[in-house]
Amino acid sequence: MNEGLVVVVRAFIGFYSLLIFARIIGKSQISQLSFFDYVLGITIGSIAATLTTDLSSSAWPHWVGLFTWVALGYLMEMVSTKWRYAAKYLEGEPTIVIMNGKIMEKALKKMQYRVSQILELLRNKGVFDLNQVDFAILEPNGQISVLLKPEHLPLTPMDMKIKVSPSGISTELVYDGIIIDENLRQLNKDRNWLFKELKKKGIKDVSEVFLVTLDPAGSLYVDRYEDHLKKITDIGDYKGPY
Amino acid sequence: MRRFLVISIPIVTLILFVLVMISSGVLKQPFGDDDNIPLSIETLIQDVNNENWEAANKDTDQLDRAWEKVIKRVQYSSERNEIDDFTINIARLRGAIQAQDKSSGLQELSEAYLHWKYLGK
Repeated sequence: MNEGLVVVVRAFIGFYSLLIFARIIGKSQISQLSFFDYVLGITIGSIAATLTTDLSSSAWPHWVGLFTWVALGYLMEMVSTKWRYAAKYLEGEPTIVIMNGKIMEKALKKMQYRVSQILELLRNKGVFDLNQVDFAILEPNGQISVLLKPEHLPLTPMDMKIKVSPSGISTELVYDGIIIDENLRQLNKDRNWLFKELKKKGIKDVSEVFLVTLDPAGSLYVDRYEDHLKKITDIGDYKGPY
Repeated sequence: MRRFLVISIPIVTLILFVLVMISSGVLKQPFGDDDNIPLSIETLIQDVNNENWEAANKDTDQLDRAWEKVIKRVQYSSERNEIDDFTINIARLRGAIQAQDKSSGLQELSEAYLHWKYLGK
């Protein structure tokens, strides 16, 4: 038995099976996972690892296990989406731990959280003074959401009665030296316009450019491969091997 | 067309993977004249029963060659232990034939057949 080759083939099977299953489940953002989703992910990963390397059993039962866990996870997700009662039972719900500036001790006890843990979560959000907090909500995924008191919220142009033009989202026109024609079309621009704009910035060919973005206000951002920086700041604290 | 490809490529990929993983049952069967494991074992049982040790030696070499061919096909969908156990059976069979031990020879062949039967199950 050529064990190395068999592991490569099984790794291939495990990797692409997991990729397909993960896309079907759709949990693309780790920050939104509940604790159970996190555990589910670890378990599925562990099964995929044994599918790859555990040659003492054939790949098939591991793959069936992987499929079953993924299918059950998907089923739970569907049930939670369609049935709110089940969602509350399975995933829990957000809990208010600070309300109108006051700590909800009973809620903390119910969630089995100590005050020190809440203070730690608040510090992670940049809040060091409890007097600033109006509401703090413990989410099912263990994260804390904080609403500061109005007097401690950051100032906005609206507060200053300053008119601002809408910023919108930048669109990539060139990525890694390649022109994205579809995005140019969506913005009612064409390649000629792009070349003209690049020429204004002294760029002769699009292959010199790493990234070009355009925002709705008409501001063009251009980054070249050659940065022409004379001195690159070294942020290292001490000498290293390189 | 694009939507069709986006849906069908993952499905076809998964089906292909499943076929690879469950293919042992089919791939261990003989495809030609020189990779017929059950026939080789049957021939060896007759040789050992008749105490025809020279023929048994030659047929063991044949079994070994057949097994080397079959391993290459079934290794992706079988347990390593089953493969190793069959290989060990052949080694012990050689010893039994050398010792002209009919009883051990038959035991090894019987066990080897079982390992071959359970390959991919």
